[in-house]
Amino acid sequence: MPETVLQVDDLKTYFFTEAGVVRAVDGVSFSLTKGKPLGLVGESGSGKTVTALSVLGVVPRPGKIVSGKILFEGENLLEKTENEMRGFRGKRIGYVSQDPNSSLDPLFTVGNQLSEVVTTHEKMSKEAAREKVVDLLRLVRIAEPETRMRAYPHELSGGMRQRIAIARALASEPDLLIADEPTTNLDVTIQAQVLELLRALQRELDMSLILITHDMGIIAEMAEEVVVLYAGRVAEVARTAEIFAAPRHPYTAALLQAVPRVDRKRPLVPIGGNIPNLITPPSGCRFHPRCAYMIDRCVSEIPPLEAIGGGREVSCHRWKELELRGSS
Amino acid sequence: MNSKETQYTRRSAGQWAVAWRRFKKNKAGLAGLAIVASFAVLAIYGLLLDPVPARSFGCLYQGCTNLPPFVDSAHPLGTENSGIDVWNEIIHGSAGDLYVGIGATLISVVIGLLVGAAAGYRSGVSGAVLLGLTQIFFVLPVLVIILLFAKIFLFLVAQGLALSLIVLTLGIFGWPLFAFIARGEILRIRELEFVQAAKSLGASGSRTLFRHIVPNLLSPIIVLSSLAVAANIITEVVISFLGFGDPTTSTWGLIIQEGFDHIDSSWWVAFFPGIAVVICVLGFNLLGDGLSDALNPRLRE
Amino acid sequence: MGSLLNYIIRRILFAIPVFLAVSIITFLVTNAAGDPVQIVRLGIRNLNPAQLKAIQDYFHVNEPLYTRYFLWLADLLRGNLGQSLYSGSVAGKVVPWIGSTLELQIPAVLLALAIGIPIGIYSAKRQYSKSDIAVTTTAIFGISMPTFWLGINAILIFSLYLRWLPSFGAISPYPPWWWGNIYTDQLAHIIMPLSVLTFVSLAAIVRLIRSSMLETLRQDFVLAARASGISDFKVTYKHALKNAVTPVVTVVGLTFGTLLGGAPALETTFGWPGLGYEFVLSATILDLPVVLGITMIISAMVLAANIVTDLVYALMDPRVRL
Repeated sequence: MPETVLQVDDLKTYFFTEAGVVRAVDGVSFSLTKGKPLGLVGESGSGKTVTALSVLGVVPRPGKIVSGKILFEGENLLEKTENEMRGFRGKRIGYVSQDPNSSLDPLFTVGNQLSEVVTTHEKMSKEAAREKVVDLLRLVRIAEPETRMRAYPHELSGGMRQRIAIARALASEPDLLIADEPTTNLDVTIQAQVLELLRALQRELDMSLILITHDMGIIAEMAEEVVVLYAGRVAEVARTAEIFAAPRHPYTAALLQAVPRVDRKRPLVPIGGNIPNLITPPSGCRFHPRCAYMIDRCVSEIPPLEAIGGGREVSCHRWKELELRGSS
Repeated sequence: MNSKETQYTRRSAGQWAVAWRRFKKNKAGLAGLAIVASFAVLAIYGLLLDPVPARSFGCLYQGCTNLPPFVDSAHPLGTENSGIDVWNEIIHGSAGDLYVGIGATLISVVIGLLVGAAAGYRSGVSGAVLLGLTQIFFVLPVLVIILLFAKIFLFLVAQGLALSLIVLTLGIFGWPLFAFIARGEILRIRELEFVQAAKSLGASGSRTLFRHIVPNLLSPIIVLSSLAVAANIITEVVISFLGFGDPTTSTWGLIIQEGFDHIDSSWWVAFFPGIAVVICVLGFNLLGDGLSDALNPRLRE
Repeated sequence: MGSLLNYIIRRILFAIPVFLAVSIITFLVTNAAGDPVQIVRLGIRNLNPAQLKAIQDYFHVNEPLYTRYFLWLADLLRGNLGQSLYSGSVAGKVVPWIGSTLELQIPAVLLALAIGIPIGIYSAKRQYSKSDIAVTTTAIFGISMPTFWLGINAILIFSLYLRWLPSFGAISPYPPWWWGNIYTDQLAHIIMPLSVLTFVSLAAIVRLIRSSMLETLRQDFVLAARASGISDFKVTYKHALKNAVTPVVTVVGLTFGTLLGGAPALETTFGWPGLGYEFVLSATILDLPVVLGITMIISAMVLAANIVTDLVYALMDPRVRL
């Protein structure tokens, strides 16, 4: 029986802004098997990042976790105090954020910032911390770690900075690593290197990995299982191979149509319309204004997230009748 | 989110309406607007109706000099040593000080926009020169130079023009910040995708300027103008207080100076006009802050 | 650290054209309007021969305008600030005034920073709370007030009504001393002007720190640091604080310029024998050598303050040392 490392249950995280309540995450549920890579995919504004920040308990103001459960190795993180949470953040759950250009403090050296994290999680001498930092830099394949330690972030390349952010997330060998669009702001060649590094580290350290992305191509390469988010809700959950072969949700199908492929000729179909306003989200199924298969019921009734066998789940009234095209 | 998206929202008529709606919710900003409007009304009342002429010594002959406040309803805020009515001076002073504050700011804005636009369109050498110039003006002890300027030139102009000379001086020394902001905005906006796109579609230079650049430039300039009016009023008050201003036109600084000379016998002469200064400057500062919140929503949550 | 030295040298080199520009503006203001002797006559009707000679020597009136400027500048750089039209050499008179101006300005800036930084951070951390609103309201009143008018009110209350503190000068001209001896006497004199100046600069600094801190707390690296388990306290007081204060350092340098610019009004109000008060007195009687001397000294001080703050900035932010 595979062990579940993280289980998110009906999570709701809202932002209480002047303009109204933004329901950024509105009832998201999924679970993650120990030692496996999971992809969290969706357009920007679908609630991917907010879900990750909720797991870490660092939702910025004016956001608030309203209800739900986040079970990490059986413990509900939402019942933890701020002090107890610090035993999870960075220690048992690592986080790599989107933009390596802004995720490191520009005024301190890389070594200073890494050893700060190392000593936060484990009491050790300065010398030991320095050695640990050197090891970490080696782990993320940085050459000449002793020299690099003394560099300031602006003296390094974007790819190098992202490696350092990864090293920071790995500082105390976490059980789970959350990487939030780790390659979005990097050059294409560097993207491949960073992804390769993440994949290798995940296997080497036997970590669970949540990879957040909007890119189905990255999902295909990196993830074994996929959770598709749309406008703060789960649209579909499935194993990667299955979702590419036979998507069950019209939104997933639309995402796949929007991915360019070199190996075959077919028209790219962009998804029409925009991600909905989450202060007054569409009634019923949130995807209905953009959905080609919309019926009256989609407007009036919220589709439940149904288990449809084989570990797959989908939230669509018409999943049985639709014949959706995959990408293979 | 894409960082360009967050830093930049294209302004259109709709966006001004949104900004106004946001501004209406901001109590401090509205208070600022109300204060500014009240002083404008006061100034117009003094200029047009002129019930008691400015700096009128009428009281001197009726024996009501040095009258404390709140005792005589004809002189609600008292009178000064030579019989000048304090409330009447506050009314006439608001015309004088608004003239200096707003007039000088307008001059600064016009010069600043012209210089900034020139430098923004020809980046390179002129940009560096402008940058150097603004730095000089930052370092210059502007107030000291203005005092020197006012002292020397006031001797040389007709007395009725003295206040206008101060407007001109403050305006001339106040433009560099506007130029700096204008140049920065123009450089930034020119590089944005939709402007580049409009250009590649064959939009003319002047069309780009008026459709895209001017509307985007307006919001920082408006905010900065409101704050500049506040600063200019304070500077005028200082100039008059030190006796470097126009002794024939009513300004708040002038009556404060007269009050300070007799501070031990009649405190109200310096006190109440000062309150007027604080409220008026506060009004422009609140207005500026409110406009800044309304026009740059990304700074708010 | 070679790049830092490089930066210092460049910064000082940049100050030279700025200083020249200031000197040109100052010189033109007093000369472009006409013959300086005529200007002085507007203030002093009956110039005696010694005064006439002093002013002619100072401006080298027999030369053409640009030669006059260079001769004046050369005198200035040699430390020859000319003769006051009333008494003695300007250079000799000015030195004690510099001291007493700095005696007021430097403690005011330091106090305002020491009090303003914690208040600004506190306010930003509790944005929109009651205490934050109290702080921001006080601060916006503070920046809306002419410094000298606050001084007048302080004099009204503490000198004229309560009679606790002296209202004029830096020291009593003769005994009895305030509070016993000559040192407490000086203390009694400085309390009011220093508090007034501190309050007004404090208001500006609190506003700067608060908004800079709000901006910083929204940055990715703050979130990333929190997400890697670093305590909120350390994130705030190590990372966010340094990032929020760094840009403010430059602004403080600029504020120092405004403060010195405000010196004439403040020093006049309290009769404080500094550069500002003497400037006003000398300008009123058109003692031009003194007025020009003070203007150039204040400019040089503002420039020096800017260089110092830029250096502090460079030490704090590695990105500017390029």
